[in-house]
Amino acid sequence: MKEQIGEHLTWTWPFVGSVHADTILTTWVAMIVALIFLAWVGNSYRRPRVGKTQTIFEGVIDYIADLVYGSLGKSGEPFVPFFIALFIYLFTLNQFGILSYPLRLLGVPFSGSPTGDLNTTVPYAVLIFLMIQVVAIRKKGLGYYKHLAQPFSFMLPINVVDEAMRPVTLAARLFFNIFVGELLFIVVASVIRQQVMIGPFNLSLAAAILPIFIQFFNFFVGTIQAFIFTLLGIVYLSLATAEEH
Amino acid sequence: MSSEALVAAATILAFGIIILGVAFGSAVGDGIVASKAVEAISRQPEARPNIFLFMFLGIGVLEAFPIIGLGLGFYLLLVVANVPALLSHVAHVAK
Repeated sequence: MKEQIGEHLTWTWPFVGSVHADTILTTWVAMIVALIFLAWVGNSYRRPRVGKTQTIFEGVIDYIADLVYGSLGKSGEPFVPFFIALFIYLFTLNQFGILSYPLRLLGVPFSGSPTGDLNTTVPYAVLIFLMIQVVAIRKKGLGYYKHLAQPFSFMLPINVVDEAMRPVTLAARLFFNIFVGELLFIVVASVIRQQVMIGPFNLSLAAAILPIFIQFFNFFVGTIQAFIFTLLGIVYLSLATAEEH
Repeated sequence: MSSEALVAAATILAFGIIILGVAFGSAVGDGIVASKAVEAISRQPEARPNIFLFMFLGIGVLEAFPIIGLGLGFYLLLVVANVPALLSHVAHVAK
């Protein structure tokens, strides 16, 4: 296998140093694709007939809006576009793993899913964490942090660790789910490459059917993990801005 | 036994134990979540979409730690000990 696992082509940008070129390029392409697609769906509102794609998107948006209103109540209205955008964006990014390695072998720096790079998932987790802190402080003032010592004061370290581990597990869950999916492709490819025979049974040939099932599984996992990231963001925000009982 | 063969053997054994733990924990956890979901649906069939949503939410949150363990196991196998390179070196020496 000529490529290393987790190796990225890097550029050097003036202000931030060296960056992962393929992650950034794939993110830009995904953003352009998502914007064009959503503009096309929005354009269908000018026509009197309701199209299929418009109905599907309305279903998705209504579902996430219901989740937000259910958890945050009426004051959750400013956050609905944020969570819809987060879900659609993460869903698009997770599926880009389909187009991965063939293009990289041609030398084009466009490979893998951007969420298979820790540099993509950690900023989103940190973003949600900081958003929760800012929204909670704006709503409750600095007394918001008293909830860390809430039931008993000796639970302060437990609550602090719990709150601090939330962005860590958010980022790690998304990254590892997508990255292990890509890693399975590499493992199957190395088995096929080495032409393994078990007696008369050609294991490499049997392993050649696997990538289709792995791809189905990756599609499923990508959708679920995007949804879970969004839903956990909503739940953490609702926990932080909950009223006292 | 050369030290490379020892490191390769220990790493492969460790990777096997990690896979054992990961698969067992993930399977038992998913089984508990799914069985409770089926029980709840049988108790109240009209709440099915809601329960379905919570089942997938539970499975997604639950699968985080087994997959983190699997990823770190692959990291151990392929980066820390670099077992393919070690094995090719050992095979070359053994021949």
